[in-house]
This record gives sequence, structure tokens and C-alpha cells, in this order.
Amino acid sequence: MIELVGVKKSFGKQEVLRDVSVKVNNGEVVVILGPSGSGKTTFLRCINFLERADSGILKFDGKEIDLKRARKREILDVRRHTAFVFQNYGLFAHKTALQNVMEGLTQVQKKSKAEATKIAEDALKWVGLIDKKDFYPSQLSGGQQQRVGIARAVALKPEVILFDEPTSALDPELVGETLEVIKNVAKMGITMIVVTHEMSFAEDVADRVIFMDGGVVVEEGKPDEIFYKPKEERTRQFLSRIIPQDSYVI
Amino acid sequence: MSFGISNFLDSLKSAFLYAPVTLKLTFITFVISLILGTIVATVRYYKIPVLSQFFSVFVTVYMGLPTMVALILYNLIFMTFYNDVAKALNINIPITDINPIIIGYFTLILGTTCSISESVRGAFRGISKIQYEAGYSIGLSKVKTLTRIIYPQMVPILLPGLQNSLIGLLKASNLVSAIAVVEIMTGALLPSLLYYSYLEGYVAAALVYWLIGAFIELLAYFAEKNSGKYLKKGTV
Repeated sequence: MIELVGVKKSFGKQEVLRDVSVKVNNGEVVVILGPSGSGKTTFLRCINFLERADSGILKFDGKEIDLKRARKREILDVRRHTAFVFQNYGLFAHKTALQNVMEGLTQVQKKSKAEATKIAEDALKWVGLIDKKDFYPSQLSGGQQQRVGIARAVALKPEVILFDEPTSALDPELVGETLEVIKNVAKMGITMIVVTHEMSFAEDVADRVIFMDGGVVVEEGKPDEIFYKPKEERTRQFLSRIIPQDSYVI
Repeated sequence: MSFGISNFLDSLKSAFLYAPVTLKLTFITFVISLILGTIVATVRYYKIPVLSQFFSVFVTVYMGLPTMVALILYNLIFMTFYNDVAKALNINIPITDINPIIIGYFTLILGTTCSISESVRGAFRGISKIQYEAGYSIGLSKVKTLTRIIYPQMVPILLPGLQNSLIGLLKASNLVSAIAVVEIMTGALLPSLLYYSYLEGYVAAALVYWLIGAFIELLAYFAEKNSGKYLKKGTV
């Protein structure tokens, strides 16, 4: 279980998160929706300390960590039990697909080279890119890079994977293959927190949808509750703009 | 007066004889400066308190000091104070037994460290933030992210600047002749002192410097060709 309580964060005078609390159960897939600037990405980055929150508590792995005052050791510990999938893939540019997946296995988990190679190859097979294992990121398409990014995250066997708009930077025709892989991650039973704009994905995969706006959680519930019976006016407004209406009048 | 081939060959031989002095001075200085320069740039990039401010002021001020002035200055300071300091520290080595090349190393390392640190600082700016974050996200420590992700990616960015530093160092190493170190140029001029064949001596020195310079450029060419392969676009 991972729980965040009272997360606040400002960039200068701009208050990005005003008291956000979220609880995610083991194996649960939670999708965070919201307009840009709502603070959803910042919230996700606060979980593994890519962004340092101004206040808030993280309950994870049986420990309670103060987000503002967390020590080096605690931060490293959280990062070693979570993985992050970036909007812009975030692959190590000087390493091949295989080396990208192996890096954390050999350097962080101290696995032998042979064992790490085996795990990494299996992960690449699983995302359908074993034939590209010796390619550098610059030689892969966006969709392929993101799949390597997902393989790198999954290979580490983290307790939680955080996805930060994993398909936003992709060409529309590459979104499908990437979402397919993420759906397969969900089937593995890994806890997932996904920030995305892909409504149909959220509807298919999410156990719970959280709608954020203006740095607060406006509403949360099961996907069909949020999509078809939203309680809040703000959620309704947002959805009406995102979900295509019945027909176009020309 | 004409160009004496045999005098020229004598000078060339003598220049080659002293080439190891120049080569050692150049390459050892380069390696030490590269390490120190990287440390200085890293401290400044991470804004480590006190040290970072100190390095920033030091580099800025020191870059304005000509190598020749620094060299003579350190040599004079050394000669003036060595005896007192040696006495205070109970060192029983007479000043005449100390090779002045040490002052040469000191001067060149200080200057080159400053210039390389500026190149490394530039290279830091060429690496995107996401490379650090990706390293942190898989659980690498700050140091490991630096040594395994960031530094290796800096190499292709740094190479042209390092080549420049190395060639500059080769030429600056010539200045140590001013403090009685015999290197390529003074070596080439040794026969000239006997026969007044200065033209031959300088031509011989120029030739040896040029050969080493060409070798360095060749080295840099292959290094550049082989590093940063990953930057090239391939099949998509």
C-alpha cells in the first residue's frame, strides 16, 4: 500500500499542490486525470522525490516518511522500490536498449551480469523488442523507446510503477502499441499510478480514477462513476471537453 | 650563410632526445588537469557551498594570468622561500637537487585545470535534466548517476575542447625552458650553441612540435569517430 497525506508544493508564488491526499492499495491501478497545470505530474514526481514537496507524508513499505525532510537513505529506499516511466522516455542515451534495462539490475540490485542479461532480455521480449536490444535510443521510434522504458521499469520488479503521461509525446499511431504494453503491466498485478489523457485506457484499465484540478483532488471513484455520473460540476466540464460528443454538426 | 643539413640533423636528433620531457610534461599535466578540472566543474555545477564560490572566484581570476608570468612568479617564490620552509619542515634536500620541472608541472596543471573545468562546465549544460532523473528513478545514487550516466555522455561533447587544451598544453610546455628545464626547443638549440646554427635548431624544434601536434590531432580524430556513436540516427 502506498499513501500520501497532505502533499503541498509551490513553485515560487505559484501553489501547484494544495493539500493532496491519495491512498493506493496493493495491485490497484489508479489513473489521475486533469487539465494541464492541475498539478498531477508534480504530484507523481513528489512520490519518488524527483520533486521535493513542501510538506506531506508518504506511507510506503511500512514506513512513514516526511516528504520535506526525508533523508538521503529514505529517498534512495523509496526509489529502489518504485519505478518511473517518463513522458519523454528518459532512456540513457549512451546505452543500448538492453543496457538500459540492465543498469538498475546490476548497479542497484547487484545482480550478476548473466542474471541481469537474462532478466533484461526477458523484459525486452515481453515488450516485443528483443530484436532491437542492441539499438541505441536514437535508433528507436518513440513508441519503441517508451516500451524499453516500461521494460526497464518492470524488470526492476518494483512495488509501484509511476507513469507520467507515457503516451503524450508519441505520434497517434504509436500510442496503441504502448498502451497495450501498459495494459499488460496492469495484468501482472503491479500497483500503478498513471497520469494520462487517454480516457478509453483509463476506462479499460483503471480500478479507480482521480480527477485533479487547481492542485486539489476534485473527485475520485470507479471509472464509470467518474465518466458517466460525475458529481462535481468541474469534472463534468472537463470531461465534456475531452470525451468526444455523440456527433459533430457540420 | 646557408641552411646546414648536418647541423639541422644534429638539432633534430637532440630535439628528439628531449622529446620525452615535453611529452611527459604534456600528458601527465593533461591527465591530472582533466581529473581536477572535472572535480572543480562538478563542485561548481552542484553549487557545493564555500568550495563552489572559492573555485568560481579562483578560476575567474586565474584565467587572466599569463602562463609565463605565473611560471616565473612561482619559480621566484620557490627560490626565495624554499630554504626557510625546508628548514621549518626539517627537509634536508638542498634546493639545487630539486628539479625545476616541478614548478613547471605546478604552473601548467593549475592553468590547464582552470581551462578544462570551464569545458566540463559547458558539457554539463549539454546533458538534459531527464538523464539525471532517469538515473535517480531506477535507484542510482547521485555519485553513480554522475559516474555511470552523466560523465560518459559528456565525452563526445568534451572531445573538441579537450583536443584544444592538449595542443595548447603542448605549446605551453615550451615555456618551462624559461626556468632552466631542457625540453624540445632548448634541446634542439644545444648544437646551435656550438655552430651558431639557430635557423636549423628552430626548424628542427618546429618540426618535432608539429609531429607531436599532428599525432594528437590524429588521436582526437579517432576518439571523436569512436565516441558518441549512439548519437547517430539509424534505422527507425
